[in-house]
Amino acid sequence: MEIHTSEFSIKLVEKALREGFDEVAALVVKTDNVMAKIANSEPAVIQHWITTSINLYLTKDKRIFVVSLEPRSLEELDKSVKELVQISGKVVESPFYAPLPKEEKIEPFNTVDKSVIEYMNKIDQLVEILLEASHRERIDSVAGMVELSHVEKALATSTSASATEEKTMLTSYLRAFADDGSGQWSFTSTKVDTKGLESMALTAARFASESKSRVDIEPGYYDVILSPMVFGNLVNYICRMASAFSVLMGTSIFMKKAVGEEVASKILSIYDTPRDHELPNSAGFDDEGVKTYNKPIIENGLLKTLLHNTKTAFIMKTSTTGNAGWIMPHPWNIRISPGDSTFEEMVSEIKRGLIITNNWYTRLQNYVEGEFSTIARDAIFLVENGRIIKPVNRVRIADKFPVLLKNIDLLSKDLFDIHWWEVGIPTKSPYVLVRNVRITKHVV
Amino acid sequence: MSEELALFAIDYATKLGAQYSEARVHRIEEFEVISRNGIIVGSAKDISNGVGIRVLVDGALGFSSTNILTKESIAKAVETAYARAKILARFMKKPIVFASSKLGRASYSVEEKKRFQDVSLEEKLGTHSELWRLTSSSIREAHVSILTLTYTESIEEKIVVNSDGAYVRSRIPRILVTYNIVVSHPQKGTIQRFEEHGASGGFEWFERWRLEEKLVEDVKTYEKILLTGAEPPKEEIPVVVGSEIVGIIAHESCGHPSEADRILGREAAQAGKSFIKPSMLGYRIGNEYATVVDDPTIPGSFGFFLYDDEGVPARPKYLYREGVINEFLHNRWTAYVFNVESNGSSRAMNYASEPIIRMSNTYLKAGDHSFEELLEGIKLGVYIKSYMEWNIDDERWSQRYVGLEAYLIENGELTKFVRNPVLELTTKAFYSSIDAVGKELRFYTGFCGKGEPSQGVPVWFGGPDVRVKKIKLGVG
Repeated sequence: MEIHTSEFSIKLVEKALREGFDEVAALVVKTDNVMAKIANSEPAVIQHWITTSINLYLTKDKRIFVVSLEPRSLEELDKSVKELVQISGKVVESPFYAPLPKEEKIEPFNTVDKSVIEYMNKIDQLVEILLEASHRERIDSVAGMVELSHVEKALATSTSASATEEKTMLTSYLRAFADDGSGQWSFTSTKVDTKGLESMALTAARFASESKSRVDIEPGYYDVILSPMVFGNLVNYICRMASAFSVLMGTSIFMKKAVGEEVASKILSIYDTPRDHELPNSAGFDDEGVKTYNKPIIENGLLKTLLHNTKTAFIMKTSTTGNAGWIMPHPWNIRISPGDSTFEEMVSEIKRGLIITNNWYTRLQNYVEGEFSTIARDAIFLVENGRIIKPVNRVRIADKFPVLLKNIDLLSKDLFDIHWWEVGIPTKSPYVLVRNVRITKHVV
Repeated sequence: MSEELALFAIDYATKLGAQYSEARVHRIEEFEVISRNGIIVGSAKDISNGVGIRVLVDGALGFSSTNILTKESIAKAVETAYARAKILARFMKKPIVFASSKLGRASYSVEEKKRFQDVSLEEKLGTHSELWRLTSSSIREAHVSILTLTYTESIEEKIVVNSDGAYVRSRIPRILVTYNIVVSHPQKGTIQRFEEHGASGGFEWFERWRLEEKLVEDVKTYEKILLTGAEPPKEEIPVVVGSEIVGIIAHESCGHPSEADRILGREAAQAGKSFIKPSMLGYRIGNEYATVVDDPTIPGSFGFFLYDDEGVPARPKYLYREGVINEFLHNRWTAYVFNVESNGSSRAMNYASEPIIRMSNTYLKAGDHSFEELLEGIKLGVYIKSYMEWNIDDERWSQRYVGLEAYLIENGELTKFVRNPVLELTTKAFYSSIDAVGKELRFYTGFCGKGEPSQGVPVWFGGPDVRVKKIKLGVG
């Protein structure tokens, strides 16, 4: 079904109102993505997606329905809407109900770079940059991917909101292997930034060659420098927990904390940044048509804001923060404020510790208490008396988020733009020195 | 379904010059109801519907998908998959080739005993409030602060065709219930449990799970763990590992490392490589109790299918057999590299996903011990029945499971609750230290993540309870 997003979103609202719904929001998203996946320093597959998704938020007598459709035809779309009308009388009123807001004016936040669209047909040139740059180091092979996306979205609501927005994005990451050494790094942008890709490839390759001939270390408590890849991953979890919906659904460390309470080291400030021209998940308006704005989640160690849509705001007696998700509010992009240390200065502040450059498989025993573990992978270095001593084998961080947040001691002055498998929300993060982190490993 | 569009796609790709082409018309329709503490938060309907196309061009693989189901759009999707594979072919050091294979020309369907449309919406909604009423009133000292529950019913329909002659049509309905329970106590803190129950079939499964009894019993247990749970013993002790944990171990430390694409490095930047190297068939990884099977053909299973998404017939695979690495999970590409036949392990999450090697239902083979016999003779030990936190490194060697419901074993009997015991060990250590295996095989539900973009596919994992020789437990 070929459609024009803006006109179609308005028609959908009219149609659903005619069918008997009280309120309607229609979000139509057209995406064009190309991804080249690399393994063993050659392309594993090139993937291309052209997708149009139709998303409807419907209420009737304070009952809430959310629909995501890829209909074969207009008739099938009609049928789905009619089915929902039929069941609407049987569902009880949602305690999450709040009226759709009335926005005076919606301002799109377009971040379109034409080069992203142009490179979709010559993505081989980006693959070539990644392969060439990474193999300048003495490595065996690289794996990873580069993805280019062009997204056009149109929102219309029964409260007269109507707007379109367009953005482009580049996301890439590379993992390099050299004997038993490996290194991984990631890069993201709203533009095609070949220098950024090259720098990423060089970082991954350098970590691989520097982490050869690893040795085992004993488990225990260490001071640890977490790279932007690792801290980005952990902060993604923490920012999802800052969604008011997570608090209400019992999956957040902030269930036990009130806004204004101390939750982290005073030097830590984390922001939700929908209005960032450099990170690819920017947006001028949320799914309810509310204007977005940058806001602190944690500022100087204090919990400043939970992320809300109008529904969670109604339950918690506050105002929306422009983070809808019709059901679940979510962060857009994340920016962690930099500190004033160089990486070398951070290392010099460690008596006995580790530098962990990448991690994966973070899992929680208890979201309310924030008990978690994650596996440090790729380049890990032992630091003694302010000097990097040797690369070490994989270990596990097994600690609690509230403890880790409070033990942050230093932040680097440089930020890195990270977006990959384990960092789903684009994040600008510094290197972070955390004191007294619990490190475990297998006993047999 | 749009069969003619799929056939058009493979014909068109062949005309363009593709050595191989494949089209999958893939539709998933889902209905979901979410509640919090018995009150419905909202309902959702989700239809995913489109065509996924793969082509092999000059040894490079191209994938393209679209949900605009017109001839023009399909033609464009084929052209882009073809053109982009062609421009990347110049980087190929080893051209991709698919092994020849027996391919299906078949149609199959899973029949629901109780169809979703034959159960009233009132009944489906009523279960949410009833489960909350029962669980929230079942404990006194602690309280159930959260019970979020999601009910999902879905129907997946597919037509897979390819230029080598496959034609497989299928229809699989599935049911899934997931919940999150938080039990709280003002002084003792909280205990949390996520759980999933899933199967292929209809609403009959919901009745079979008897959640109204299970949840009440579970919550009572969680209260006791919160109030009385103590640290596990510090010395080396025998541990009875519950079937739920045995299942996740089989999935993580046998199923994943046995994926041939992972062994060949295709997932190296994402889910990682494997401790199993291409030459390790025949390598001893455990003792005679270590037999792990992946079987998509188990009726009613969440990971059920009879033909994979390359059209290859599915069958049980003995990945570890009596402690020896026996067989890998293959698609047609890895089958060519290893000079074997594909064992039908290629799956795609939806139309927008490339088929890749996946598990289905993975389990450790049952033995002959009753539960009492497993405990017999243990002077001091721990039985870990369930878990919350787990992870494993990206070569699938070092893993950690943190127990949720766990008991002290004293003189062959379960006596007290143990809080957060940690089993942190290597793959070889686990499979080599099993010394007795229970006779009751149980399955558990999950979604397995892999690929880029990440694909979550429905699986079961399972096993019996097993006894592990002495090990030192950690504390979570």
